[in-house]
Amino acid sequence: MSATGLMVFFRRSFLHLESRILQAIGFNNRAVVPALAVQGPGIFPQPHRNEETEEHSFLDNIFWMAAPKKRRTIEINRCRRRNPQKLIQTKTNIEPCSECGNLKQKHVLCGFCYEKVRRETAIIRGQIQAQEGKPLNNPAVETVVLYEGEMPADTDAGKRIVERKRQRPSWFTQY
Amino acid sequence: MAASCAVGLGVSLARGLVRYAEASRLLAPCRVLPQSCIHTTTALEGNKNWERKNRVLHQPQPPEETRRAAEVYHCRRQIKYSKDKMWYLAKMIRGMTIEQAIAQLEFNDKKGAAIIKEVLLEAQEMAVKSHNVEYKSNLYVAESFSGKGQYLKRIRIHGRGMFGIMDKVYCHYFVKLVEGVAPKEEPRTGFDQAKEYVQQLRNRTIIHSL
Repeated sequence: MSATGLMVFFRRSFLHLESRILQAIGFNNRAVVPALAVQGPGIFPQPHRNEETEEHSFLDNIFWMAAPKKRRTIEINRCRRRNPQKLIQTKTNIEPCSECGNLKQKHVLCGFCYEKVRRETAIIRGQIQAQEGKPLNNPAVETVVLYEGEMPADTDAGKRIVERKRQRPSWFTQY
Repeated sequence: MAASCAVGLGVSLARGLVRYAEASRLLAPCRVLPQSCIHTTTALEGNKNWERKNRVLHQPQPPEETRRAAEVYHCRRQIKYSKDKMWYLAKMIRGMTIEQAIAQLEFNDKKGAAIIKEVLLEAQEMAVKSHNVEYKSNLYVAESFSGKGQYLKRIRIHGRGMFGIMDKVYCHYFVKLVEGVAPKEEPRTGFDQAKEYVQQLRNRTIIHSL
């Protein structure tokens, strides 16, 4: 898109807009002839007035809008963009997780540990889904997860058992 | 047509030769050896000076001189992000140790933070592998800044048949890691800055004067 082509397009569209507005007002080129001057307000057509005033107020709205008077220099722009309020604050609440050693925020769970737990529970959920078969088919009893070499205790008498073929992870305590 | 093809082939051949020569890292006293006197880059390719800074080979130091600290230059080109937004992140990590910088970027929610963190980790690995850095955490961010990449232009349609040209912005990110502890820079007050400014004005010479 060349700059001159753009300018020509803008100028043409503005002139077109202008002529359309003038047409709407009633200023047609063919009507520029000496008109009969008659006294009295009754001669003037009243219904035209509303459209005219509407167009005028519409134009006025354009010409009374706020616009920048001068270009903001790069120095002023830099003062605004670089003042300390807009710079990023360094966080002072980052500490290493005591379990895994990755970084965590003080008031948030460690992302690594959370992900590790999420993966195991996703596998357990998959097995439960396979056991149930169809959705909303869960039995009205508690569920207990048993890992390799574990027997259900006496307290787990009527519960649904989910088997996992691996050693119990250290963070998933049994009792 | 055949002639232009031949010329094109010749130029690409020369460029290939230049690249091979650069890759072989010929010894040069403290400067990059100018492999060719021909200007072989096009306007669309841009400057790749930052990558070349890693190739600089210094003279061996005399034993009594303090050991020159190892430096690593790394960058990433054409990141789909705004250079102004990237600048804030680059400004934040200037002067920090690399561990501190990575920690801050990990918990920052901006899109550029993840990208800069990747770049820093790559640079750290490069430093340990090929730039003779002993401890990977003994690095600090000496320089960090963003630059404008090559933009794509698109049309944004407004009302009344008007249109604007929308820029799809890209940026580059540059970082220089130096081995050792960051030099402690004392904060300059406004008074100091004003004094420096006045001194600069006074140092000006008036040319063609009596």
